[in-house]
Amino acid sequence: MADLLEIDAVCASYGRIQALSEVSLKVPQGAIVALLGSNGAGKSTTLNTVSRLVPVTAGQIRFAGEAIQSWPSHKVVSAGILQVPEGREVFRDMSVRENLDMGAYRRNDAAGIRRDLERVFEYFPKLQERLQQKAGTLSGGEQQMLLIGRALMAGPRLLLLDEPSLGLSPLLVQQIFAIIERLNREGLTILLVEQNAAIALGCSSYAYILENGEVALEGPSEHLRRDDSVRRTYLGG
Amino acid sequence: MDLQLALIFLQQGIASGLVSGSVYALLALAIVIIFKTSDVPNFAQGEVFMAAGYVALYLFVFQQMPIWVVLPATLLAAFLAMALFRRVVLDQVAKSAKDLVYLVIATLGLSYVLKGLVRRTGFGDTPRSFPALVPTDSVMIGQASVTLLDLAIFGTAVAVMAAFFWMFNYTKTGRAMRAVGMNPKAAQLVGVDLRRCHMLIWGLSGVISAIAALLISPKILMTADMGSIVMLAFAAAIVGGFSSLPGAVVGGFIIGIVENMVGLFISSRAIVLAPFLAILIVLVLRPQGLFGGKLTIKKV
Repeated sequence: MADLLEIDAVCASYGRIQALSEVSLKVPQGAIVALLGSNGAGKSTTLNTVSRLVPVTAGQIRFAGEAIQSWPSHKVVSAGILQVPEGREVFRDMSVRENLDMGAYRRNDAAGIRRDLERVFEYFPKLQERLQQKAGTLSGGEQQMLLIGRALMAGPRLLLLDEPSLGLSPLLVQQIFAIIERLNREGLTILLVEQNAAIALGCSSYAYILENGEVALEGPSEHLRRDDSVRRTYLGG
Repeated sequence: MDLQLALIFLQQGIASGLVSGSVYALLALAIVIIFKTSDVPNFAQGEVFMAAGYVALYLFVFQQMPIWVVLPATLLAAFLAMALFRRVVLDQVAKSAKDLVYLVIATLGLSYVLKGLVRRTGFGDTPRSFPALVPTDSVMIGQASVTLLDLAIFGTAVAVMAAFFWMFNYTKTGRAMRAVGMNPKAAQLVGVDLRRCHMLIWGLSGVISAIAALLISPKILMTADMGSIVMLAFAAAIVGGFSSLPGAVVGGFIIGIVENMVGLFISSRAIVLAPFLAILIVLVLRPQGLFGGKLTIKKV
């Protein structure tokens, strides 16, 4: 299948600190690809180079065949690349409804927006119950749902998920991943950054492991799950 | 002082306070919308106000242009000057220096540039007044005497503020501006063009200042130093909590009323102290300002 996203020998740095050196990865259309690694390995930086929040110093990023590494961030969103950021990056003082509306910021098709809002409510009925509540007062799990819902409101072609399991109870993690797998079954391509390697390797078809800003290992998720060194380092034995 | 006179003073103080307060409120609003989105107190806000007054004066009195050209031209000039300052100067400064202090210093630079430009033209040498567009006949409201011009100032200011509140709360662009103020990274991730949004906010802040200048300049003597009125707008913003738009407006009216009350009940020489007194009282009783929300302690 064709690759929707190709990251080709990308380098990025924060000031003098090299954050990524020649990272290459591919996300085929319709797949879930996992990006694993310990804290500070460069996982979020990789997503942020694609979202165009971090400048690329060398290399190329292609989305559906087009080079996007010099695009501004809003153009990337218009093209259909939506990042669900790590942590609780909601608009705290806005209502849940306003947060979802902000997700559709770059769209003008009222009918499509309404349809996607219905879809978000179908995935996350909790959000519909709390529509008028301020986003900052939601629980951690609800904020994570809101972040995914907000990204879906943009009508994405590629979802960049940054640590969706972070700080959530095992039960919530299960729920969120059930939704992620469902989104994928319904046709959405996903690049998934996770520290929880077990769950990420469980739902992805292919995975990359970053160490110190470089791709240390890559392969079909099933192989990595059985790999001894991966088991020792990332799966706890 | 007998009760009768005190009551008259009270009414007059509130009426006059609402009029001067509406100008402080507008300028405070202009300061706060920038602060909320850029984290920069714009110390040039007073000079933008002053320069806009002189642009209007130049076009209307010296060029004899019709007023329906002068008003939009002045607003447009203020919009462009502030938007370009944001885009050309501040974006450049921000690129080379991460610290916000440099941006603040840049706004101080703008204030000197504007003051210097107005001084160079020579219009500021003699104090002048902008001709009043509304008659200055007096009317009585209760026992307070105000002019029709005063009513026009108050009414226009309230209408302008209402329009901006509407924009911030109910339009897509306004919502994006609030989003940038709350969480710029998240705003970028949903596709807000930060650079464009900042230009628009600075431009609108310029427009609000220009409206304030057009409203008040028939009532005061214009000089190149008239921008110092911005101290009162900063006082209003602080009283209101510095990050709240309704707070800025209420703060503006409070400062205006306190100022007039002090003038009437104590002494006209004590007026300059009034805003600082208001700041002191508010900050002692409510350190976060009247509309500042919960007090948070930032760990460094």
